[in-house]
Amino acid sequence: MTHRAVVEAVRAAAHRSASDGGGLVVSVAFYVVIVGTLSGLWRVAVDANGGDLAGYSAVALTWYIITSEAAIVSVNARHIEDIGTDIAHGTVAVEMLRPASVLGIRMATEVGRGLPKVVVLWGAGAVVATVVAGAPPRPAALLLAAPSLVLAITANLFAQHTVAAIAFWIRDAGSVWFLYLKAVFITGGMIIPMELLPDGLQTASLFMPFRAMAYVPARLAAGYWEPALLLEQVFWIAVLAVVANAAFGAGERRLQVVGG
Amino acid sequence: MAIEARGLTKVFETGRRRTRRRIEAVRDLDLSVAAGERVAYIGPNGAGKSTSIKILTGILHPTAGEATVLGLTPWEDRRRLARRIGTLFGQRSLLWLELTPRQSYRMLAAIYDLDRAAEARRVAELGDLLDAADLFEQPVRTLSLGQRMRCELAACLLHDPEILFLDEPTIGLDLVAKQRLRELLVRLNEQQGTTIFLTSHDVADIEHVAKRAVVINHGEVIYDDEVAAMHRTLLATKVVEVGLVAPIVAPRQAGVTVLEHTDQAMRLVVDTHLTPIRAVLDQLLDGPSVVDISVVDPPLEQVIAEIYELPAR
Repeated sequence: MTHRAVVEAVRAAAHRSASDGGGLVVSVAFYVVIVGTLSGLWRVAVDANGGDLAGYSAVALTWYIITSEAAIVSVNARHIEDIGTDIAHGTVAVEMLRPASVLGIRMATEVGRGLPKVVVLWGAGAVVATVVAGAPPRPAALLLAAPSLVLAITANLFAQHTVAAIAFWIRDAGSVWFLYLKAVFITGGMIIPMELLPDGLQTASLFMPFRAMAYVPARLAAGYWEPALLLEQVFWIAVLAVVANAAFGAGERRLQVVGG
Repeated sequence: MAIEARGLTKVFETGRRRTRRRIEAVRDLDLSVAAGERVAYIGPNGAGKSTSIKILTGILHPTAGEATVLGLTPWEDRRRLARRIGTLFGQRSLLWLELTPRQSYRMLAAIYDLDRAAEARRVAELGDLLDAADLFEQPVRTLSLGQRMRCELAACLLHDPEILFLDEPTIGLDLVAKQRLRELLVRLNEQQGTTIFLTSHDVADIEHVAKRAVVINHGEVIYDDEVAAMHRTLLATKVVEVGLVAPIVAPRQAGVTVLEHTDQAMRLVVDTHLTPIRAVLDQLLDGPSVVDISVVDPPLEQVIAEIYELPAR
């Protein structure tokens, strides 16, 4: 697949997503309510703990939450279900008629769709965080958090495609999205920073890709200048890309044999 | 040859171990289509038409047999073949519904490696050919089905394919849109030499588009001949449906069979070998009682039943 095809897929999807004003307004409203509530709870917890919780101040945790939520809310939470439906209903079979990777075009499209959302959500979150808690603890770290958010979305989408590929073998992959989302919530650090998880879970999460989807950009936005975290994201994206590609390749071959 | 298939067979297995069933969707299919032909590949629902097209376009592996399309084995060279063929499924969209057709064409052009100049030239050509240029700027979801099909056709013609596979392209279209699409396919074949391979269960698609008809039933080819020959043998029968305001006497002409006759309606089958359809219509309209009249093709099931009655060739 050519570089231009990927760019066009990203561009077209981003344009489509940015044009959906109503959808963006609903997403922002939902997001502001969630981050307003969660950051309020965390500020109470930090204050009750003497102004510091596992190294995070109230301001840092507020910036953590607005970033982790932006990373996750920007991606269609039920994308796994949607891909499963497309596989079961033969839409993927038609996509196989193009001289391009089905996974590649789908990934480019979904990343493109997520980009305007993450910009708008994170922007709205920054306003909320500044108003309710204060300026970012270390503004320079936001320069790392911004690309990290794009990497987080990419990792999340590769993982969703990997999981959704089971629809090539089983008819209903719809229920899997619920388990996946719970894994992102807990071991991805979406609601709770990793440092506050029990030791065993913290260790286990190091060997899972979910940290790359929420925790990494959130930790950077919370003021931690840790560029190595970006490398961790790149590592997981590479792993997930290989696995998703293998899963889709095997699924397409199965579709060719058993029909769809 | 544009398409060549020998002994092509596809067996699907359904159910679990104890209840496993084998369904032979395509059985020992032999088929040759020369470049530039217009072939209607027809059969009733479940006959194996879509399965055949999926094999020939590389989406499905056959269980047995061989096939080449433009010299390539479809299931082994799917992406290379995709650059040289266009495929249109009547019930599946090649376009992105939230985009305008022009935006979809831009993405498809990038996928097919057309540069911007070639893309612009081709989109303009197709806009003229399909009389659809004014539709290219509207979001796909706002187009009628007939308008969308013209834009879909442009999408699958963008890379100037040598063969066009169309699976039930007229399904769901109204009469005017169907006729327009049929005319476009003929024009495309005549002006650009594109091979047309069309599946349908609508007899009128054969008459208006194809020069050759291949009929498939239960996965097997049961008829393969020129449409003109088919006209002489199988499509010579027409059904005439008449609405009445007052009772009339049914026509008593050779080859006219009355299927149904009440004070308000009458249905006739006319064998046009024996009596021209015009003669029957003239007699029916020679009085004030007829308020509505239509002439329709026999259903495909009837055509197939007649094929089985033909002497073996």
